Amino acid sequence: MEQRLRQEAKTLLEQGKVDYIIGFEQGSLKFTTAPLITKDKGDTDRLVINPFIVNNLSVYLTDIEGRVGIVAKGCDSRSIVSLIQDNKVNREEVVIIGIPCPGIIDLSKIEQLVGKDRDELDDITRDGNRVVVTVGSKKKDFPITEVLFDNCLGCEFPTPQEYDVLLGEPSTPVADKTVSRAKIETLEGMTQEQRWQFWEEEFSRCIRCYACRNICPACFCQRCFVEESEPQWILPIPQWQDNLIFQAIRNIHVAGRCTDCGECDRACPVNIPLRSLTKEMYDLVDELFHYKSGMDKDAPPLMTAYEAEEAEDFIR
Amino acid sequence: MANRKINKRDIEKLLNQWGQEFTVLAPSKESGIATMSKWNGKHANFLDWYRNTVIPPKGNFFPSMERMFNFQKDKEGYHLELPTSNEQKQLIFGIRPCDAKSLAILDMTFKDAYEDPYYLPKRKNALLVGLGCTNPCDSCFCTSLGINPAESSDVDLMLIDIGDEFLIEEVTDKGKKLIAAASGVEEASEADEAKAKEAKEASYNKVTRKIDTEDIKRKLSSSFDNQDFWEEIAAKCISCGICTFLCPTCYCFDINDELAKGLGARFRSWDSCAFPIYTKMPMENPREEKWRRVRQKVYHKYGFYPMNFGVIACTGCGRCIRQCPVNWDITQTLDILPAEA
Amino acid sequence: MKKESEWEPKLVGFLCKWCSYAGADLAGTSRKKYPANIGVIKVPCSGRVDSLFILKALRLGFDGVLVSGCHPGDCHYQTGNYRARRRIAITKKFLEYMGIEPQRIQASWVSASEGGKFAEVVTETTEKLKQTGPNQLFIEERQGDGAKATARG
Repeated sequence: MEQRLRQEAKTLLEQGKVDYIIGFEQGSLKFTTAPLITKDKGDTDRLVINPFIVNNLSVYLTDIEGRVGIVAKGCDSRSIVSLIQDNKVNREEVVIIGIPCPGIIDLSKIEQLVGKDRDELDDITRDGNRVVVTVGSKKKDFPITEVLFDNCLGCEFPTPQEYDVLLGEPSTPVADKTVSRAKIETLEGMTQEQRWQFWEEEFSRCIRCYACRNICPACFCQRCFVEESEPQWILPIPQWQDNLIFQAIRNIHVAGRCTDCGECDRACPVNIPLRSLTKEMYDLVDELFHYKSGMDKDAPPLMTAYEAEEAEDFIR
Repeated sequence: MANRKINKRDIEKLLNQWGQEFTVLAPSKESGIATMSKWNGKHANFLDWYRNTVIPPKGNFFPSMERMFNFQKDKEGYHLELPTSNEQKQLIFGIRPCDAKSLAILDMTFKDAYEDPYYLPKRKNALLVGLGCTNPCDSCFCTSLGINPAESSDVDLMLIDIGDEFLIEEVTDKGKKLIAAASGVEEASEADEAKAKEAKEASYNKVTRKIDTEDIKRKLSSSFDNQDFWEEIAAKCISCGICTFLCPTCYCFDINDELAKGLGARFRSWDSCAFPIYTKMPMENPREEKWRRVRQKVYHKYGFYPMNFGVIACTGCGRCIRQCPVNWDITQTLDILPAEA
Repeated sequence: MKKESEWEPKLVGFLCKWCSYAGADLAGTSRKKYPANIGVIKVPCSGRVDSLFILKALRLGFDGVLVSGCHPGDCHYQTGNYRARRRIAITKKFLEYMGIEPQRIQASWVSASEGGKFAEVVTETTEKLKQTGPNQLFIEERQGDGAKATARG
């Protein structure tokens, strides 16, 4: 698949069909990949496909000028569709190189299972439905249901729905909803005060680095509400109250455009369980409006659409 | 100088003893991330897993959010209320040599021209007990910046791992006093000293990531206007604040007032040169484009700070590399920095 | 904490200019009684109300927020209230999940001729808030233990 990807990318550049290729290359740390954004067809030899291609590359589409050939997994392609719905990206200006995604490995889960830091692991390989971890001469293997990211485990559309090229056969989803929603179920089982207390504690750690916002393809506002000073909605000071409001509103603002790619959760340096918010919103819009983000590029965005008759039992 | 030593099993007792006199901060793991927290015995096995904290020790002296003063307005005018200084002495146990050095680097800024009245008293009141690394991370590159991961002159006491025990080096008089009445501390033998020397060498050699600081000055001075290079380098950056906030030597801050009717408080909080609005002014933004901001970060750390203070504002702790969501790696950038314009 | 008899809930109402605000005005001119607990902010349309306003109001200490607009189909701007409807639906549920009492966020359709209804809505909402209690959500700046003290002053 990797060879085919490199060939496709090279051809697209050579034929002048795109100005940039955005894909993944080997990162500077073990078991890490980094986004590769290049105009140079020589660089296409660095493109990789492996169990660590975690980034949602569509985040770069709203900043780049020109036509782009972009590598997209299932969730990523839905983000691209969502951006097309929002008129931020022109369908004609992207060539979507679709990767049927088998799920991405969560290094921190492996670290916990093996009891070692990632630097001490020698190899991690995906072997069908198992993942083999090598430390020195010892090998340990785990079922993928224990080591993939939570959102990968609950993913319903691992194969891109929208693409120009599909590199491989469609993937079968693991679709383990229980794991994917486990943390949310725990929260829903708490009382209202307990939940608020939980989020107060979690957001006390937030340092307002905005990695969650900046890595999100759906957050493309030129001027985010946190940057407004007239009126000042929330202060730039990382008090838990303002941190909480920031994240709550961010989720409400991206409702219907978030595809549960899990990037915000992964990017957070202080381990705030952001996916317990994004996935909740993702399921909420499905429940209320039977809407799944990024499935139909011609559909109006969720929050601008409406039906004449809609549930309004909460309105007096 | 005859050094002392302590068995690793006795560290818990020692921290408890110190906890009677100081606010002891030691590594703990809350919510899956390592932080320096108030010692309460809960994470007594931290020696088993501790590499380094996510938030660097600068957070203890220059917190992410700090109240500068409260103010009130009445018919007589404004009344300021300065925060009461915390007289409690902090003892930070387990600070790594890279982070200890970072505090010395930060001191230069917080003393330069104006003595910061929030940072400096905390520094004066703090005791640092260093812990040498035995297992540097892949992302570490302290050795390229003149730091041995198992040695430090920027702490009061330095603990070096010699197996079941730590060798204790008394670095300052404060450290000497600290260890004088400490429980579980014995004299170290010559064999112990030899083991410590070996440990320092071993740790030093384990750091595989390197940068060439000699060449940097020359390469930086010729690369400033190389827009193509910087655009390529900056392409994947998402302009968040992770690298700057987690950097032990970054010190930029923003000042904001929180206002209610007739009263308020002034805070300072961490700011990042990576943010697009960092240099935004009414008429223009000199660093509107991302490549300028990325360039600025490299130059500040490796060019301007050494120019002004004689030292590179980086200690090779590697947090920026490890935590960056897009694996932007400053050592890679420095490595491929063109030699000629 | 104040005794229940001493405490009066503070309610802020975002009323759309074309329908609900006029309805509120009519309540006044018709001498319909309703509690003085509400402070009114006129907006051009219920669709103008961003969820941010709701959370900001709660942050500022209001005990409850009311958003009121034209009946579906009657919006002066055609579709504004439809958007408000969706927005409030997800906001209420999402914030409830985060731990905010859902009674603190109320919505209503009040037309320009429904002075009586407006008075009823305010009365009911005030009563609900009295039962819910004062808004303590954002009070108590957490000083915390060492784990948080490390990163915060």
